[in-house]
Amino acid sequence: MEPLDRPAVRDLMGEVLAVQGKTLPADDAARLADIGFRSLDFSELALRVEDETGLELNFEAAGLRRIDTVADVLDLLVALQTVDSQGA
Amino acid sequence: MIGANRLVDAASGTRTTWAELPPVAPAYPAAYPVALVVGSGFEALPAVAAHAATGAELLVVAAGRVDEALAAELRTSGFGLVDAAGTASPPPSVRAGERGRLWLLTSGSTGRPKRIGHTLASLTTVTGALPPRTWLCPYSPGTYAWWQVVTLGLTVPGQDLVMVDPAAEDWLAPALEHGVTAVSGTPTFWRRSLLTLGEELARLPLEQVTLGGEPVDQAVLDQLRAVFPAARISWIYASSEVGASIVVHDGRAGFPLDWLDRETPDRPRLSVEGGELVIASPHHGTDPSGRRLAGPVRTGDAVRIEDGRVLITGRLDRDEINVGGAKVSAGEVRGVLQSHPGVGWAAVRGRRAPLVGTVVVADVVPAAPVEFTADFAAEVSRWAAERLPEYAVPRRITVLPEIPVKETLKSDV
Repeated sequence: MEPLDRPAVRDLMGEVLAVQGKTLPADDAARLADIGFRSLDFSELALRVEDETGLELNFEAAGLRRIDTVADVLDLLVALQTVDSQGA
Repeated sequence: MIGANRLVDAASGTRTTWAELPPVAPAYPAAYPVALVVGSGFEALPAVAAHAATGAELLVVAAGRVDEALAAELRTSGFGLVDAAGTASPPPSVRAGERGRLWLLTSGSTGRPKRIGHTLASLTTVTGALPPRTWLCPYSPGTYAWWQVVTLGLTVPGQDLVMVDPAAEDWLAPALEHGVTAVSGTPTFWRRSLLTLGEELARLPLEQVTLGGEPVDQAVLDQLRAVFPAARISWIYASSEVGASIVVHDGRAGFPLDWLDRETPDRPRLSVEGGELVIASPHHGTDPSGRRLAGPVRTGDAVRIEDGRVLITGRLDRDEINVGGAKVSAGEVRGVLQSHPGVGWAAVRGRRAPLVGTVVVADVVPAAPVEFTADFAAEVSRWAAERLPEYAVPRRITVLPEIPVKETLKSDV
């Protein structure tokens, strides 16, 4: 299966929030704390990406970065698919 | 009680000391044992100070854990429920409190909370002089780990506390503001902090980093070492039943093999039986009747011996799923899913996930064929969310057309 691009990961993020009756704002600069996207939601999104791609994401390869906004989440999950698909 | 040790509420910025805390009066101490239901750890501290002064029987629990069934169980056991404002709901029949008794609630094997008896003395496992430190306490109020940090502040000179909500995502700013030099949290707390706060964490001049409450893996220890090169990094194996039994300071996962089967006066004896960690501890709690939990306790934790280390890998009991430190009974979740009128069969298990270590996932088979499986999964998810704590709700629900063959065979057996 192919890695998911940023819009596809964004769609999945919207689905995680929609189940809880929340909406993903159009602005990627939106803060996670403001939209109610928490640790369990992040974990669920990672599983959805894994299920869609067949990849196992290696979060230990993520390095240190601040995850504060929607853009931060999308950047990380897109980057981790690349790391894994290259076998790193 | 070390009255001069400082106390800070990170949420409100309130600064005080043990000696200056206001009383909980009029509802604690009361004519009956009190279950104090609090919204934050800081709210419980006046009752802790009152307990230290009077010994009146006390149980501290986070409001989020108290459902109707638990409230009824506590009241039947003679507890009056009291909130942080002192509002009281007395028990139906009053029993005299047991002087010096503190109760902790732990997850029972059926998923229902179980009461374990302790005292301030049995919860105070760090004694003697320590360098002055300001501790961040991000544990849920009333848990064993919360009491470990609170008794440190209560009994050891120079140990100040900054209380923070366990769910607070941005604890760094208050920690910097209030001069935190030591932090004790679950591996999930640390994984989440490493991922969401990133290199900014290194701004915190930590001398002590402690992990407890869940199995600790080498990856999180290595990441913490990279961020806090000067800190002592420790992990603690502790539970309500056996107390703090293993403390490791060498920055490695697991503990040295030669700690097994070692007899040391007043120290826990660790052993492995059939791949399970067994502990005989001087810090054991008591059961609800006040009877001390005697002898070796089978912890239910699986261990593996590798390269001279004893690694704690997870639970032997496949029913229990640890979601970021919160224990979930797979059987209880399965029962909720199967109580949905449209669900014919369900299986529940844990799945490895970032940040929280494991999340709950489920397979369900509809009682009658459904046209849109995604809608059906969403409906079952809503059903679960209305009946279970957030961490126990399955995060992935897979709709299967029929019960898997191996499960059918198991049923036949």
